[in-house]
Amino acid sequence: MINLQNVSFSYNNEKVLSNISLHIDKGEFTAIIGSNGAGKSTLCRIMNGLLKPSSGTVTVNGMDTRTTKSSILARHIGFLFQNPDRQICKNTVGEEIRFSLDIAFTDKSMIEKRLFETLSLFDFDADSNPFHLSRGERQQVALASIIAAEPEILILDEPTTGLDYVECMKIMSIIKKLNDKGITVIMVCHDMEIVLDFAQRILVLAEGRLIADGETREIFKMEEILRQASLLPPQIARLAARFGFDDVFYVDEMTDIVLKRIKNRRKRTG
Amino acid sequence: MKGFFDYVPGSSYLHRLNPLTKLLLALMICIAAFISANHLFLVMLIVLNLGIGAQAGIFTRSVMLLKGLLKLCIIIFLLQVLFIRDGNVLVKLPLNIFITDGGISSAFMVVFRLVTATMPLALMLSITQINDLSNVLVTKLRIPYPYAFALTTAIRFIPVFANEMTGIIEAQTSRGVQLDTRNIFKKIKLVLPLCVPLLITSVRKIEGSAISAELRGFHLRTKNSCYKKYAVNINDICVIMISVVIVGSAILVNSIF
Repeated sequence: MINLQNVSFSYNNEKVLSNISLHIDKGEFTAIIGSNGAGKSTLCRIMNGLLKPSSGTVTVNGMDTRTTKSSILARHIGFLFQNPDRQICKNTVGEEIRFSLDIAFTDKSMIEKRLFETLSLFDFDADSNPFHLSRGERQQVALASIIAAEPEILILDEPTTGLDYVECMKIMSIIKKLNDKGITVIMVCHDMEIVLDFAQRILVLAEGRLIADGETREIFKMEEILRQASLLPPQIARLAARFGFDDVFYVDEMTDIVLKRIKNRRKRTG
Repeated sequence: MKGFFDYVPGSSYLHRLNPLTKLLLALMICIAAFISANHLFLVMLIVLNLGIGAQAGIFTRSVMLLKGLLKLCIIIFLLQVLFIRDGNVLVKLPLNIFITDGGISSAFMVVFRLVTATMPLALMLSITQINDLSNVLVTKLRIPYPYAFALTTAIRFIPVFANEMTGIIEAQTSRGVQLDTRNIFKKIKLVLPLCVPLLITSVRKIEGSAISAELRGFHLRTKNSCYKKYAVNINDICVIMISVVIVGSAILVNSIF
């Protein structure tokens, strides 16, 4: 699907990404984590062809991003920006979603079908003004207009920033459903709880270098790597580590261990 | 034009001048450009602009600015050449369009004037901190603070909006809008609807800035609120004299040729 070979990127003579090689397969849910300025957003822009690598090659479904226009790559990759206001340009939610559909499809019946499906999925009123909605709702409108076009790959640049818990979970559950249907998801995220709950694979960036690439639980066990990237594992994992329990990342796992220990102690004390 | 109005820190001779002197020098070069009708003199003014850039340590930015203006210059040049019919006919084209020596001369004149008049203000803003400019307008020129603030804020917001527009274009390109097309007419048609998100974000930003300024006592500010003093020293007097000489030369060259 997406293949990066020795990719480096410099901006104003400053190296933002250096020598990154990775491969992302169809259907993967990958999270990109790292501190601010680590190069996460740049890596995403490199993947969808908005930025061309200074050296190395990036291919998406076999297409070299250096020679393929971003607007052509957009048929394969949907990109959700952190700020939905940069994307929304129509006066109603229905028009906004239709705008994306008009670009992606030519068949009018298909456009109507996808419009209806998308509005239902997000429970939107087609006539509402997107500029009068809350930030979380505008983020949902932006996401809706992207997924309406049925991209094979979804790149999300901090999709949950500034959202409350309910809005965040609504967006993430929709993304999860899409991933379950086989859509590849690449997500930049600062919330380690969300990363742990949804991502299968993590790419850790620090100062433009890919310092770790692996399965989610394995990465969260690598304290030194997380320290290098100025990150902390989820709170429950840190609490478990203090009690000497390894490989505990969820409240349920922690509860099971604690209850088991209490039972054992009761048995021993009679 | 993104980044052309950002301040470049430095301690060059020009950096250390009084902001009012820098403003005067820039305005005098602009005035000289409009007074002079001599091609060679205008080219010399462009070279002077590049020299100013080099002295201030922003030569690369000056060249980039020239390159940025080039596209606009080409369009203006073509319009002038094709529609000004004074002088001798050099080339006849279909649709009763012809190129004349007068048209070419006038086209070069307009292009040189455009470059000569645009560069000094951009260079002046690159070597002057916007707060210093605002303060000097209030303390020396007695311009009421709200007006000086409005002017400097407008300048300060140019790179912000340029950055915002870049972001909007990226967001729309990622949706499949063919903004990466080479067809200029198609591009203009596609860019126009993008004014909606730009307008919305601009209004939101301006509203936020206004509230922020009010919360920090914007209306309490008077001309005495500025603690910095902007003295005029010998360097400033030299530059003011050079500015006068530039305008004088333009008048002199005009009267001779």
